[in-house]
Amino acid sequence: MFLITCPFCGEREQSEFKAGGEAHIERPKQPTELSDDEWAEYLFMRKNIKGIQFERWNHSHGCRKWFNVVRDTSNDEIKSVYKMGEKPPTI
Amino acid sequence: MLNYNTSIKEDKSYPDLEMKEIKPIMKLIIRGKTKEFISAIGKNLSMLLPTEANTSTSGETLTAFWLSPDEWMLVSNEVVSEDTNAYEVENSLINNISKTNLGAITDVSDQFVIINIKGSKVFDLFATGSPFNFNEFKNKKGSVVQTILSHIDVIIHLTEINEVNLLVRRSFSQHLYSWLTDSASRL
Repeated sequence: MFLITCPFCGEREQSEFKAGGEAHIERPKQPTELSDDEWAEYLFMRKNIKGIQFERWNHSHGCRKWFNVVRDTSNDEIKSVYKMGEKPPTI
Repeated sequence: MLNYNTSIKEDKSYPDLEMKEIKPIMKLIIRGKTKEFISAIGKNLSMLLPTEANTSTSGETLTAFWLSPDEWMLVSNEVVSEDTNAYEVENSLINNISKTNLGAITDVSDQFVIINIKGSKVFDLFATGSPFNFNEFKNKKGSVVQTILSHIDVIIHLTEINEVNLLVRRSFSQHLYSWLTDSASRL
């Protein structure tokens, strides 16, 4: 269990949030031109690294807004939190 | 005559803690993003919507809760008539906000149940089932928080020091009230 600072509501406990997977995955501009492998790569393949990971989270039991979190997956340390549409910080 | 059957059958009283349902109260969800929307709401209600997170603003007859950057809940300060579920405020907001495409107005009067809890042990009770840190909240009259209580989504409004109004969805109200009474009896 850890605390997440929602960019809208402030510091809340993790159980108020839902994790939404890896952040900054861009939908291909021309999906019809992709091969099945490339489409599968976009749709299913995620990094799942041990270390610093960029993730999307949703404050589902609070303001219900989506935002981005930079989290160290090995010790759940939150490095940074930023809103949707903002540039990811360099870490 | 509207049907006001409720799952909360009785008021409860414990040492330093009292619980009762307050009904009927008008509740509206208002949503919108633009500056024009905020100023139109201000003109219509002659009160400002809170822009700071986890706060509320009160007018003579209404209180507005901050729920999210583009979502507020408007509740009546006093109980409304049991004979009708049409509200003057709602009609005026629908005409001036919804119909002009500035934002959305939704009547949630019957969706939420308001439980009033007062006494010096209010926050001891919440501490048994909520992950939220109430340390700052409990000293700031008018604070509002959306959080979890016993795994149930609730909105908590601090009306006075040591007195809160707890809003919970109707379908969860019976279960939450039974949890509250059980938990309060063990404090």
